Amino acid sequence: MRSFRTRLEDRHPDLPLLVTEQKRLRLDDLALPPESDTSCPDGKVPARIALSLRAPEALIAALARLDGRAEAILLVAPALPPGLVAGLVTASGCDYVVSDRANLPGAVPPEALVELGLSRLHGGVTEWIMTTSGTTGQPKMVRHCLTSLTRTVTPMANLTSRPVWGLTYEPTRFAGMQVLLQACFGEGTLAVPDLGADIRTVLSFFARHGCSHLSATPTLWRRFLMHPDLAGLALRQITLGGEIADQAVLDALARRFPGARITHVYASTEAGVGFSVRDGREGFPTSFATDPPKGVAMAVRDGRLWLRPEGSASEYHSEQRLSRDADGFIDTGDRVAQRDGRYVFLGRDTGVINIGGVKVHPEEVERVINALDGVGMVRVGARSNRLVGALLTAQIVPSEPVADETAFVDRVLAHCRAHLMREAVPATIRLVDQLETNAAGKIRRA
Amino acid sequence: MENVIREVFNEVWKRQKGTEPPPLDADTLLLEIGLDSLGFAIVVTQLDEKLGFDPFSIAQDAYYPQTFGEFVAFYKKYAPKI
Repeated sequence: MRSFRTRLEDRHPDLPLLVTEQKRLRLDDLALPPESDTSCPDGKVPARIALSLRAPEALIAALARLDGRAEAILLVAPALPPGLVAGLVTASGCDYVVSDRANLPGAVPPEALVELGLSRLHGGVTEWIMTTSGTTGQPKMVRHCLTSLTRTVTPMANLTSRPVWGLTYEPTRFAGMQVLLQACFGEGTLAVPDLGADIRTVLSFFARHGCSHLSATPTLWRRFLMHPDLAGLALRQITLGGEIADQAVLDALARRFPGARITHVYASTEAGVGFSVRDGREGFPTSFATDPPKGVAMAVRDGRLWLRPEGSASEYHSEQRLSRDADGFIDTGDRVAQRDGRYVFLGRDTGVINIGGVKVHPEEVERVINALDGVGMVRVGARSNRLVGALLTAQIVPSEPVADETAFVDRVLAHCRAHLMREAVPATIRLVDQLETNAAGKIRRA
Repeated sequence: MENVIREVFNEVWKRQKGTEPPPLDADTLLLEIGLDSLGFAIVVTQLDEKLGFDPFSIAQDAYYPQTFGEFVAFYKKYAPKI
């Protein structure tokens, strides 16, 4: 098992590793201390360390220091509120929080990692604990390791022009980490725009630094396509992931970047695997069911996609309960339909709604709205939308007659905004006399 | 058509942002007025409820308008002919 640092040191030393608005760094500039191979001092327990770092160079340096030495690394988004960070740190059993944020009491700065003097793990692999976003903002933890995270990372065959990967995702999330690792281990450069920069600034940053490879959600790609400055980019690789890529966004990108390779990625958090499609068409060929891409086996049963990771499935553990059959296939919960020799994605069968790449549980939204005074019953559903995949709709039966409907809706919205992620706040709220129920008396979901 | 679109834009803006909506000219870049993807998606949904159609769903060509003028033209192009 080669560590993050060992693999990083395979890179050509002159190659820029990272560019930000302020800095351009090579591996040497990270000033990693010489590797020591000290054995574990008596009584010293391997550490579990939480990282919540704003500076990408600090994140890469910390990963280089900790992978293969720490028992576990918990990756926490730098924007996550302190209360939620504390909850994750406790739940994951971390001993230290390393951060360059000002609002995390008890955290130590990244420089303090040197003093920890961690020794190499013998016969063990560092756990990489990543988080996925939840409807109410409370993240769920998913365990990985460097091998499982780099399964799809490919060495660059043609090194005449090195890739410059633009980062549009939070690097502590799965999709962002994929881009970071591909740039680091694929002889590339990672271009990281400032947190919270507007779209013109981001596109101008990518153009100035020669961004050639870019991975984003279909929602963000549509947003880029709506901005004239996208024309300033010379993209060779376009990757879409995190939600369903429809034919319209694939066609629009193909027209704008005729020379680029366009890949849409399907990844299942449940199964811990995924696959890529490169033929520019939505969905995937039905032939994948009998002749699947490398590393995965698939089956479609009752309109649902089942996947089986090949070989190293044990490296991946999800906190969620999995439906796994006797052959090791895992139910992804994603519905597919056969159409013109393709399987196209229809959405989630589990009720989870994907809004611009954010998975929302309608039951959680209903619970939040139900807690508000004046709400009798509520049903939250989805309405499909071409820009963000889907939007939430809410139908509310007030507990008593409402005199001012606008004021009531505003009160519901304010309550939702206070308790839910932005994507989980219903886009439309309608007051109704009664909700449709099925024969069993359960509220019917559209 | 343009007036209905302006009206919906302004309504969504007020409800989402709680401030006075910005002026919209034909060459205003939609993405630079400060409404995010979700905000635009809500505008498209409200327009669907008001006008009874959504050009993003019915258009066969993959097109994403960049300016307010293009947005209005896109709606006019796909408006049901009476």
